[in-house]
Amino acid sequence: MPKYPLLPLLLLLSGCLSLACCQYLIYFYAPAEETMGLVQKIFYIHLPLAWWALFSFFLVFLGSVAYLLKRAPVADRLCAAAAETGVLLSGLALLTGMLWARKSWGVWWTWDPRLTTTLVMWFVYAGYLVLRGLNLSAQRKGLVCAVLGVVAFLDVPLVFVSARIWRSIHPAVLGAQGGGLEPEMKLTVAACVVAFGFFWAGLVWLRKGQLDLRARMHANAETSP
Amino acid sequence: MLRMTLAVLRKDMTLTLLRSSGLVQTLLLGLLLVFVFSLSQGVGENLNARNAAAVFWLSSAFCQVLIFNQLYALEETNDSRLGLLLCPAPIQAVWLGKAIAGLVLLLLAQCVFLPATVVFLGQSLNGPLRPALAILLLTDTGMCALGSLLGALAQGQTTRESLLSIVLFPLLAPLLLAGTGIGAQVFGSADPDGPGAWLGLAAAFDAIFLAAGLLLFAFLYTGDE
Repeated sequence: MPKYPLLPLLLLLSGCLSLACCQYLIYFYAPAEETMGLVQKIFYIHLPLAWWALFSFFLVFLGSVAYLLKRAPVADRLCAAAAETGVLLSGLALLTGMLWARKSWGVWWTWDPRLTTTLVMWFVYAGYLVLRGLNLSAQRKGLVCAVLGVVAFLDVPLVFVSARIWRSIHPAVLGAQGGGLEPEMKLTVAACVVAFGFFWAGLVWLRKGQLDLRARMHANAETSP
Repeated sequence: MLRMTLAVLRKDMTLTLLRSSGLVQTLLLGLLLVFVFSLSQGVGENLNARNAAAVFWLSSAFCQVLIFNQLYALEETNDSRLGLLLCPAPIQAVWLGKAIAGLVLLLLAQCVFLPATVVFLGQSLNGPLRPALAILLLTDTGMCALGSLLGALAQGQTTRESLLSIVLFPLLAPLLLAGTGIGAQVFGSADPDGPGAWLGLAAAFDAIFLAAGLLLFAFLYTGDE
C-alpha cells in the first residue's frame, strides 16, 4: 500500500493559508494605487501567476534535459506535471492581465511583449500537452516531449525580443529604476510570490504523485496475468 | 556526413518533384490562402503592406508544414526509415538533407507566392530589396531547421499535419514577426528603425535552432513506431 503523499498536501495547505494571509496585506496594508484604484490589486495575483508559470516551463526544460540524458521516467512525469501547472497558471495570468489591461489601457488585449510572450508560451505548452495525450509508447512519448520541452524553452527569449522590437507598453514595475511601487506594495507582492510558491510546489508535487501512481498501476496491470 | 546529406537531398528532391502531386498541393494551399485574404479587400481597396506581408508568410508557413510532412512521409512505406538509420553516417545528415530539400522546395513555392501576393493583394516591390532577400533566406533557413527537426516528431501519426501545425506555428512566431516586419518595408511601409533588428533576430533564431537540430535530431529519428 503506497504512503499517502503528506508533504505536497502540507505545501498546498500552507500555500492556501499564506495566500489567505496575503489578502490582508493586499487589501489593508498595501496602499491603493492613485489612478487605477482597486483594480490595481489584480497585480498581486497576476505577477505570481506569471512568474510561477514561467518557472514551471523552466522546470519542464530541466526535466526534459534530464530525461534526454538519463531516460528516467520520473523526469518525464515531472515534466508532465510542471507543464500542466504552467499552462493553467499562464492561462490565469493571461485572464488577470486582460482585466488589468481593460482598466489600465482601455482594451482587453494589446500586443505587448510580455503578453505576447505569455500567449505564445501558452500555445506552445498547450501543444506540448496535446502531444502528451497521443497514443504513443511511453519511451517514444517521453523522447518526443523532452525534445519539444527543450525547443520550446529555447524559443521563449526569442519570442520576447521579437515582441519587444514589434511594440511595448507594459509597465516596468520592477525595473532597474525601482519602478513605480511603494515599499508596502513591494513587500506585499513579495509575500504573494512566496505564498504562491508554496501553492505551486504543492500542486506540481501532488500532480507528479498522481502520475507516479498511474504509471505504477499500468506497470502492475502489464505484469499481472 | 556531407555525402549522406547530399544523397538524402537528391533522393527527396527527386521523389518529391517527379511525383504527380509533388509540390502542387502545397502551392494550391498557399495560393488559396492569398486568394481568401484578398476577399477582405473592398472595391478599389488594397490590403496594407504589413497585412500583405503577413499573408505571404502565413502561406509560406502552411506550405512548410505540408513540405516537411511530405518529406518525412517518404520513408514511412517499406520500412525505409530503418534503411536510413542503418546507413554508416551520422543521423544528423538526414536532418540536414531534409532541411536543405525543404528549403529548396519552400523557395520554389515562394517564387509563386510572391507574385501572387503582389497581384492579388495590390502590392508593389518598392522597398529595400537587399535586406528583403537576406530576411527571406534567414527566415526560410530557420523555418526549415525547425521544420526538419519537428517533422520527425510527427512520424507515424495519422494526424501529423494538424499536430505539426499546432506545435510548429507558435514556435515560429519570432521568425514570422521578423519576416512580416521587413516584408512590410519591402511593400512600401516606412519603418524608422530599419531592418537591422529583425535581421539580427532572425540570425539568432537560425543559430539557436540549427544547433538544436544538430543536437536533438538523433533523439527523435529512431526506429520506434
